Amino acid sequence: MISWVEELATEVREHRDYLTQLDAAIGDADHGINMDRGLTAALAKAREMQAEPPGTVLEAVGLELVYTVGGAAGPLYGTGLRDMGRSLGDGPTFDPEDLLKALRAGLAAIQSMGAAAEGDKTIVDAFSPALAGLERGLRAGDPLLVALGRARRAAEEGVRATVAMQARKGRASYLGPRSVGHQDPGATSAALLFSSLERAADVAVRTLGAES
Amino acid sequence: MIQSVRRASRILRELGTGSPGLGVTELADRLGLAKATVYGLLRALEAEELVERDAEAGKYRLGPALLQLGNAFLDNHELRARSLLWAESLAGRVVEAVRVGVLNGTSVLIVHHVFRPDNSVQILEVGASIPWNACALGKAIVAHVDAGRREELLAGELPRLTGRTIVDPLALGAALDEVAVDGVALEDQEAIVGEAEVAAPVFDHLGSPVGAIGVAGPVERLLNDGPSKEVVGAVKEIARSLSRDMGAGRFIARVR
Repeated sequence: MISWVEELATEVREHRDYLTQLDAAIGDADHGINMDRGLTAALAKAREMQAEPPGTVLEAVGLELVYTVGGAAGPLYGTGLRDMGRSLGDGPTFDPEDLLKALRAGLAAIQSMGAAAEGDKTIVDAFSPALAGLERGLRAGDPLLVALGRARRAAEEGVRATVAMQARKGRASYLGPRSVGHQDPGATSAALLFSSLERAADVAVRTLGAES
Repeated sequence: MIQSVRRASRILRELGTGSPGLGVTELADRLGLAKATVYGLLRALEAEELVERDAEAGKYRLGPALLQLGNAFLDNHELRARSLLWAESLAGRVVEAVRVGVLNGTSVLIVHHVFRPDNSVQILEVGASIPWNACALGKAIVAHVDAGRREELLAGELPRLTGRTIVDPLALGAALDEVAVDGVALEDQEAIVGEAEVAAPVFDHLGSPVGAIGVAGPVERLLNDGPSKEVVGAVKEIARSLSRDMGAGRFIARVR
């Protein structure tokens, strides 16, 4: 779990300027900076919790994001990760089905807070297809890593699809038709959630392979 | 003739989307019209500078005459004109963004927006249209319209923009009653997650609400441990001054 937060923090750091640049077109040009600041704080928090169960770590990471990211992204991602952590509970490990259930809880939290549906040009447009991709993969009997690859690709496709959308939620919706033609920064950062999850799972698989 | 006006207006709307420019074929496809028809309309619009053509790419985009028309629309707006100085002074006083809006149908049209004076990047929200039930500006206005109009608005569509938007007519009616008593409307992440607004109505010489002025900013700054007393006080005071400028008597502006 800590490795996921590490991968996520790294990805956000690498994409910080890109996210900010996307946000400059239809928002306040602070998405990358805010997310980077929040994840740096959240990672420090997670590292202090090495001995804690993964669900507890994720819940704490979520709460940290609510306080440190600011704007709409803080409450949305923070509450999403917090509810994912709560869904995982305090067991020492989790399996792919637990992960799927937790991601579903995370998306539900984000949607109940933001009231966004697919097509509104938000985080949901990457998160929702990614979740569907993961579920399809697991149902088809894919190993977790392969299923997470599907999820990541579905998220990336979802991000590309936001370019043609007119924003219906968030500040970008104030631009009306002028929001068309720009990639949504929230969906872009949501896709990083899944690419970092895939990388963390890859690391975990390698570590397990080396041990056995 | 009327049909061509409608078609020309559809062309302008298509060009008003975020795309960098559209060719005749693309426009004809989007509108479901013959290329020759679209071309003829574009030539006429170009002559009026309502559209312009990028000579190299051969694509059309909106023209400079539209900016003049947009500005003329805003300049003709008495509330906006009179609010310029007051809004600036309010933004400086509380160091947050200030917006002025009017009720247009069932939405609030933002006619003036002063950025939070802290040099951060912000997008201009003038022209934005927000469902009245989702913003403090809208609630401040509707709390003071006549009973018939209020019922009509409460019975109409109440879109949900976040999990906190009030969409239940009864709850919304109760919220409006509170606004009428307090003289100020609050919005707690009802339009955008993380954003709050504190707004007060502006009245004209008839005592009717012509619009509202409000301070918008992060919820943790405006509504932390209840609404910021400083912001509420400043918004009410500036709204009263603006109402007086709009011809409202002292009595009306104060009692409402």
